Amino acid sequence: MLMFAAASVQAQRTTSLKINEILVINNKNFVDDYGQVHPWIEIYNSSPGTVNIAGCYLTSDLSNPKQYMVPKGDVKTIIPPRQHVLFWADNMPSRGTFHINFTLDSIKQNFIALFDSDGRTLIDSVTVPAGQRADVSYGLIEDGWTLKNLREAQKTLTSYKNVTELWMYFDDHNNDGRYVTPSSNNKILDTNEKIENFKDNDKFGIGMTITAMGVVFLALILLYLAFKQIGNIAINLSHKRAKSTGLSHEEATGMVEQSGEVYAAIAMAIYEVTELHDEEHTILTIKEKSKQYSPWSSKIYTLRQIPQK
Amino acid sequence: MDFLQFLGDNLQTFLTYTSFANITLGHVVMILVGLVFIYLAIAKEFEPMLLIPIGFGILIGNIPFKDAGLQLGIYEQGSVLNILYQGVTSGWYPPLIFLGIGAMTDFSALISNPKLMLIGAAAQFGIFGAYVIALSMGFEPNQAGAIGIIGGADGPTAIFLSSKLAPNLMGAIAISAYSYMALVPVIQPPIMRLLTNKKDRLIRMKSPRVVSQTEKIMFPIFGLLLTCFLVPSGLPLLGMLFFGNLLKESGVTRRLAETARGPLIDTITILLGITVGASTQATQFLTWDSVKIFGLGALSFVIATAAGVLFVKFFNVFLKQGNKINPLIGNAGVSAVPDSARISQILGLEYDSSNYLLMHAMGPNVAGVIGSAVAAGVLLGFLG
Repeated sequence: MLMFAAASVQAQRTTSLKINEILVINNKNFVDDYGQVHPWIEIYNSSPGTVNIAGCYLTSDLSNPKQYMVPKGDVKTIIPPRQHVLFWADNMPSRGTFHINFTLDSIKQNFIALFDSDGRTLIDSVTVPAGQRADVSYGLIEDGWTLKNLREAQKTLTSYKNVTELWMYFDDHNNDGRYVTPSSNNKILDTNEKIENFKDNDKFGIGMTITAMGVVFLALILLYLAFKQIGNIAINLSHKRAKSTGLSHEEATGMVEQSGEVYAAIAMAIYEVTELHDEEHTILTIKEKSKQYSPWSSKIYTLRQIPQK
Repeated sequence: MDFLQFLGDNLQTFLTYTSFANITLGHVVMILVGLVFIYLAIAKEFEPMLLIPIGFGILIGNIPFKDAGLQLGIYEQGSVLNILYQGVTSGWYPPLIFLGIGAMTDFSALISNPKLMLIGAAAQFGIFGAYVIALSMGFEPNQAGAIGIIGGADGPTAIFLSSKLAPNLMGAIAISAYSYMALVPVIQPPIMRLLTNKKDRLIRMKSPRVVSQTEKIMFPIFGLLLTCFLVPSGLPLLGMLFFGNLLKESGVTRRLAETARGPLIDTITILLGITVGASTQATQFLTWDSVKIFGLGALSFVIATAAGVLFVKFFNVFLKQGNKINPLIGNAGVSAVPDSARISQILGLEYDSSNYLLMHAMGPNVAGVIGSAVAAGVLLGFLG
């Protein structure tokens, strides 16, 4: 069972990898370590934990899922949470881990897929349409998004109301705030949309107060209702138990109601006992012992007296 | 002669490293604040477990030194204080404190009279009252949320939320929250007197019924499921609170419960207190925003207390004679456990020397802990 759980956790982690952005025609864009420009494929780790992409496969051919295996043993294949890794589609795998053994077609459409380390489980795939423009990338509208994310966003965020496609083009020459972003977020966040939303629609905080207090009350009302019922059941049970023993309910539970004074006296007595050393705890005393031996190592002083009956 | 010159230069260099050469008025002010905290803790016994570490932390944090890359200050990455401070900045001290609180809290009063939970909810108006005022003073919604949580009267919750929503204000928020928690005996009684009449104060409440161990065990389980399904963002605090309580009530994990409510919470309290105190370096802390936060903190406590008392009076309208609640326990809805409940007891005895409200007040008091953690979860969900 544990092995199954561990396996599913691993699977869950690699399945959080997403093909995030692709640049098919790279003329003057991002340059690799060799000072050359090539098409690139960006993979995004959408999970809150690190994921090692080593052992997974990248392919441009569905009939050959094991086209390029990401080599193992390179620490750079460990992708931190919500971070990216970039592969150069230059057909020069001898240049290192991130240079894959195929390239992208600048005229036709390109199919790109990411398979898990078993070579059978498809993690993600995308078909980049034909007719790509130079230095314009094709990417997800927001890092790692799926259609589900888009639909959820459309419910709450006005900026996504009219968006229909999950993938879009990123062009540095358009002034739409969407730029080619190799190894970084597709959407550059310069504000927190949630906070902006509150600033625009709830300037005085009344909406927040009503909503949040509603939730706080609801949470505690739910607890109240649950424990009201549980309490009723407990009381009924104790009544039944008392009836069967022939005692009153209070007697059966051992809790005959006492006056407040009695409780106060008990509380005071406990206080007196537990706070006994309040006054003298900072006073160090050395008293001379009349006995000849040293009490330092005497067990008699370290043992408690046996209580007398 | 050269050697004397060398010694002189060395001495001069050394002097530039001393605090005397680097002290500013801000440091002096903060050191005085630290001394006041220590005085209040020792002489007045105001929350000594918190004010001693925080007060001494303020002294540590405000020893001026030359910024020479020696990794001394709390804000210098890799310094000892910085490493200890990470429990605050990454928010894992507060949930551990909540674990201890859960392991030491007896929810019997609440379970026996569950309607008292609603008082714990009403007192959270303090948070949102302060939120509204903070917005009007020009704070951003996330900052206002972090400031508002001071009204929850719960230090760990305030630190947890501010570390997520407004880390730059965390020092001021934490100091403000703990200061006002210590000042509960000063802040609350006048408001309670003002909002109640003699008849209210003399209301006697029914003794709480005996709660079975089964009910006590069910409380943390149901509590977790019901509150966290509703507000998953409150999970770190509520999860640990209820887990700690289950350790206590299960009866089979005594050692774990004792560790959680003893050595563990003590250790974390020491680390939390000293680092929060040390985070108040004058250069970072003494700003106009900090002054505003202190003002807002006081207001939030006033609003929370008033909301709790007024809610009880309103609630009483719907309750039958004999089931009515003494409004003097309304203040205990703020989660300063057990200080605010103790205030209810003291004031209750002032007006009727045989009316003991402590056990009744503990109900809303612990409900306040849950309520403020839920409120923090809501704020984090909306603004995080």
